[in-house]
Amino acid sequence: MSLKDISTSVPKKDHKGKVSGQLPYISDVKVENMVYGVLVRSPIAYGKIKSIQLPTLPEGYEAVGAEHISGPNYVKIIQEDQPIFANEWVNYIGEPILMLVGKDLNTLYRLLDEVKIDFEEHQAVYTLDEAIQQKSATGITMASYEFGESLENISAIEQGAHQIIEEEYDTGYQEHVYLEPQGMLAIYREDEIVVQGSMQCLYYIKNALISALDCGADEVRVVQSPTGGGFGGKEEFPSMMACHVAVAAKAVKKSVMLVFDRSEDMVVTTKRHPAKLNYRTALDKEGNILSMCVDIYLDGGANAGLSQVVLQRALINSAGVYKIPHFHAKGYVLKTNTVPNGAFRGFGAPQSFAGIESHIGHLSKLGNFDPLEYKRKYLVKQGDPTITKGIFRDPILVEDMIEDLLTASQYKTKKAEFQHNNPQNLRYKKGIGTSLFLHGCGFTGSGERDHIKATVKLLKSKDDLVSLKISNSDMGQGIYTTLSKIVAKELDLPYERVLYPDPDTKEVPDSGPTVASRTTMIVGKLLERAAKKLKTQWQSGVEQEAVEHYVHREMIPWDEKTFTGDAYPAYSWGVNIVEVEVDTLTGNVKLEKVYGNYEVGKVIDERIMKGQIDGGLAQGLAYGYLEKMTSKEGRIQQKSISDYGPPTAMDVVSIDSKVFDNPYADGPYGAKGAGELTLIGGAPAVQAAIEDALQTSFQQIPITPEVIIESLWRKEGEGD
Amino acid sequence: MIKFTLNGRIVETDAPPTARLLDLIRDEFELIGTKEGCGEGECGACSVFVNNLLQNSCLIPIGAIAGADIQTIEGIMETEQFKLLDESYSNAGGVQCGYCIPGMIMASAALLSNNPHPTEAEIRDGISGNLCRCTGYNMIVDAINLAAKKGDGLWQKK
Amino acid sequence: MAEKITAYRFDCLEQTLSQLNKEDCAIIAGGTDVMVLHKSRRGVPPKILKSVVFIDHLSELKQVNQNQKDLHIGACCTYSELLEHALIPVALKNAIKSIAAPAIRNRGTLGGNICNASPAGDTLPLLYVYNAKLRLRSVNGERIVAINDFIQGPRRVQRDPNEIVTEIILPSVLEEDAHVVFEKVGNRNADAIAKVGFAGYIRINDARIEDVRFAFGAVGPTMVRSLNIEKKLVGKTLPLADSDIAEIVADFDKIIRPIDDQRSTAVYRKIVALNLLRYFLSLKQYQTK
Ligand SMILES: Cc1cc2nc3c(=O)[nH]c(=O)nc-3n(C[C@H](O)[C@H](O)[C@H](O)COP(=O)(O)OP(=O)(O)OC[C@H]3O[C@@H](n4cnc5c(N)ncnc54)[C@H](O)[C@@H]3O)c2cc1C
Ligand code: FES
Ligand code: FES
Repeated sequence: MSLKDISTSVPKKDHKGKVSGQLPYISDVKVENMVYGVLVRSPIAYGKIKSIQLPTLPEGYEAVGAEHISGPNYVKIIQEDQPIFANEWVNYIGEPILMLVGKDLNTLYRLLDEVKIDFEEHQAVYTLDEAIQQKSATGITMASYEFGESLENISAIEQGAHQIIEEEYDTGYQEHVYLEPQGMLAIYREDEIVVQGSMQCLYYIKNALISALDCGADEVRVVQSPTGGGFGGKEEFPSMMACHVAVAAKAVKKSVMLVFDRSEDMVVTTKRHPAKLNYRTALDKEGNILSMCVDIYLDGGANAGLSQVVLQRALINSAGVYKIPHFHAKGYVLKTNTVPNGAFRGFGAPQSFAGIESHIGHLSKLGNFDPLEYKRKYLVKQGDPTITKGIFRDPILVEDMIEDLLTASQYKTKKAEFQHNNPQNLRYKKGIGTSLFLHGCGFTGSGERDHIKATVKLLKSKDDLVSLKISNSDMGQGIYTTLSKIVAKELDLPYERVLYPDPDTKEVPDSGPTVASRTTMIVGKLLERAAKKLKTQWQSGVEQEAVEHYVHREMIPWDEKTFTGDAYPAYSWGVNIVEVEVDTLTGNVKLEKVYGNYEVGKVIDERIMKGQIDGGLAQGLAYGYLEKMTSKEGRIQQKSISDYGPPTAMDVVSIDSKVFDNPYADGPYGAKGAGELTLIGGAPAVQAAIEDALQTSFQQIPITPEVIIESLWRKEGEGD
Repeated sequence: MIKFTLNGRIVETDAPPTARLLDLIRDEFELIGTKEGCGEGECGACSVFVNNLLQNSCLIPIGAIAGADIQTIEGIMETEQFKLLDESYSNAGGVQCGYCIPGMIMASAALLSNNPHPTEAEIRDGISGNLCRCTGYNMIVDAINLAAKKGDGLWQKK
Repeated sequence: MAEKITAYRFDCLEQTLSQLNKEDCAIIAGGTDVMVLHKSRRGVPPKILKSVVFIDHLSELKQVNQNQKDLHIGACCTYSELLEHALIPVALKNAIKSIAAPAIRNRGTLGGNICNASPAGDTLPLLYVYNAKLRLRSVNGERIVAINDFIQGPRRVQRDPNEIVTEIILPSVLEEDAHVVFEKVGNRNADAIAKVGFAGYIRINDARIEDVRFAFGAVGPTMVRSLNIEKKLVGKTLPLADSDIAEIVADFDKIIRPIDDQRSTAVYRKIVALNLLRYFLSLKQYQTK
């Protein structure tokens, strides 16, 4: 198949194996001499291990723990605070202490029940609120940043303001529920350990293994298996599992498989950080914003993990898509004795956008403005500074996107119609809401240049087939297809002649992790350049390769200390409009219509883009009203998919979406990032729609039926 | 010893009668198209046909299906119906990570065999026990619609 | 290795009953509750400590028939089978459609929903307002019990170890021209366990209430129903006065005592249960239908 227009869809590379189910995910793999591993986990939230008593282990069964780790006992991520096997302190319920390995799962489960551990329990910090109270105590604040207008100036402005509005906003956990539970296999060989599994970041894992096994780079090898969904959940978490299986494999000299049960996965793996966002805004008589202060608190859970980076993105997005005069923000990651939180599609931005969209919406109501009109007054334009003193360099099409969506959705007519009809229907109320959002593409600041330093390679075989040699995972988002298309088009080759074998660190250079909506834009661009290079050197029938390294776009240098500079090289944009119907007797919310306009530079494959829109929005909308996870005394309460409640096919509706063209010079064919953007607008739009239906305000997501009923009940009480 | 038909072949097993059909299919008969996503009947990744009815193999103790006719995705892979679904899922962009897909295909086939021309609401109900976290379902709904349209006659009730 | 486990799958009910008389067994119908309740972890059979007896294939337990105006439903009829059956009342079909998803409905049985006795069992509110009776059989004969006597608490039923529930009887349902509604409140539109369930039943003659019944699910250890409260409304004419409605709602307010759990809160469950009751009492929809 030859590619005329890059956006025209092609069959996905991995389609056949996926529909037939014959593509082996890690739990489908069996290797010779393989044993299973199960983890002994902490039953308490905080305390010291006093003693461990193992049952008598039958022949062929062994316990693996901290003493088997050759390197330092932590999972190499950013800080050194996450033990591979906790052997002194435990910091959350579910923290791994030991691994039992052996052939038969039934036996392992029985042994698991017989392990006795004696703890000295200590007072744990269970909630974000408790952590906020104790944030100056040692060890609670794991990261913090502050930037923007000086507080003296703000206080002077506040003095002269007509009113000051303060709002506190809470966001809950979100669980990835990738359909394939986490799984990792370490294949034992004399001279190397091959770790294979469900993952997004091969070299994160490789580096963690080199540290844990204290070995040379050629003694470990990481291979990605087909990955059944990631959404960030397989970004940093698999590094820990990889350490577990690799340490165990070395210890018992057998291959070790670790696959989680769904309930185990729900309870012990990372989630989206619960957050509290405080807004303090000075308004003049007309309701115009004079200044704004935002404080963000993220519940990091028990380890630092990637939380500080998540906080950075949350802060960078704390003003949304708006140019707010005299803006100040600060943020904290706080430690609690709960399951560590981590990467999740959007990476801190969804919390911030939910908060700021809600707050601006509420401010508009105070001044009796239509929320959308009020938001448009503050919309950033090309050339405007960002809140970190960077610049929005490229054209911004949001105004056009809004206008187009207003027409498509008949927003104004609908809004008037609902307002007119709602009083007549005692039970069901309809509402319509909007959200405006962006997503900074790629790593924050100079991460690409300083930390990642991506390299890509194209390898041409004698029979003129070209293989992509990169370390990026296809976890469903379709990069096998999109990146292959870019290369095929650049080389003028039929798409079928470009191959993308499962990444294997023995074969591929480090092109960086598969995160941060960077893959298409950054890795895709490098591949485009490599393909150009290969094309100029092309010699039929000869083995050839082309290598490219990351080149940094000229920007205002990012300074993490002062939190200034260009945080991202480019931004993708979106607008959502959502219509809902709320059942005032039960608080249930029904989605009626969902619209989205997006700008992602250039679409590489229309079908894949639509898949990102529909899937991302389903998650984003559900984050706003449907999915609910809570922790009680350090224990996750929702251990099954149904109790947590991600949407079924009956909870979503078809989505009317459109993508605007706005090619970006440093992206392949003009493409920017798209994967995370699509999630971000869901929750704020659904909140706005529910508020419109009920003519009330909420200060939290998810807005569950419980929240709605309580609010209606209070309102009724006030009315009496 | 429990005997049943698996993908058209009579098979026997010594596994305990409470063993989950899912484990038997995957471990003993090494058919990997039937996946485990939850083990509690909540995701549909393990969907199979039991006497032509869609069921979750993680909830079936094998003792209960003695003599039954079991079909997994591997058992329908060569049928015209499967080929049509395969093509429709490709054309509609219904596949992302793929982990839910064999189960989805089973649910789609079950739905269309009972109801060759389903409405959108009937399609959504038909796959409501099959969780997909990647696609947001709409492109899967489109795929089933496409298969219904193109498959005129193919889905006639047996 | 898995412990040895004995399982029986007899060709007929008689043999099954005689085995149950010799040995206390775990009865498995569709198994959709049993397999989850006893689930171990990935890759191994559930932990069931007794011998197992499978019953869902027994044709004696799969019949649906009419006896004068009573409806008899075999305990092992699956939800899908009931959905296809012409005799099953519409309200019950609506409740069944709200259960889980097609694959579960192809396995789960009505008898299983009753014997599992979950406060959130979706057919239970309706079965209570239908005054359902259960036929239990053992080698010693049979007996008939009212559903509210049979169900004692969460997962607790009044069944002797040698008995099987063979059928569910809905007395007079095929005659009465009653208006029956069922509402399920779950966290999502499919595959959801009820947070609140409500069944309302009303029969009127010229605007005069001849019979009225309510049952609430998931707001207590068993279905909440009160004959005393129901009696207060018999003989009243529609539309009901606001004060009558308020009185009934206040009466239920006193006896509905839900709990907080991972799915919802006690406060929510109570408010919503009473909302649904009030709505049922206030609307005139059933008079026009
Ligand atoms: C994913 C999922 C979703 C679900 N959703 C719902 C839902 O929405 N609403 C709902 O109400 N339920 C739901 N359930 C629960 C379950 O499917 C139903 O309760 C079903 O009716 C149980 O029937 P079964 O035949 O599978 O019961 P089984 O699991 O076979 O049996 C349940 C209990 O009843 C006993 N028993 C069964 N039949 C008899 C008999 N004839 N005589 C004596 N004892 C007997 C068994 O010993 C056992 O104790 C769900 C279950 C799952 C796994
Ligand atoms: S694994 Fe059987 S339904 Fe999820
Ligand atoms: S395609 Fe990933 S879960 Fe459906």
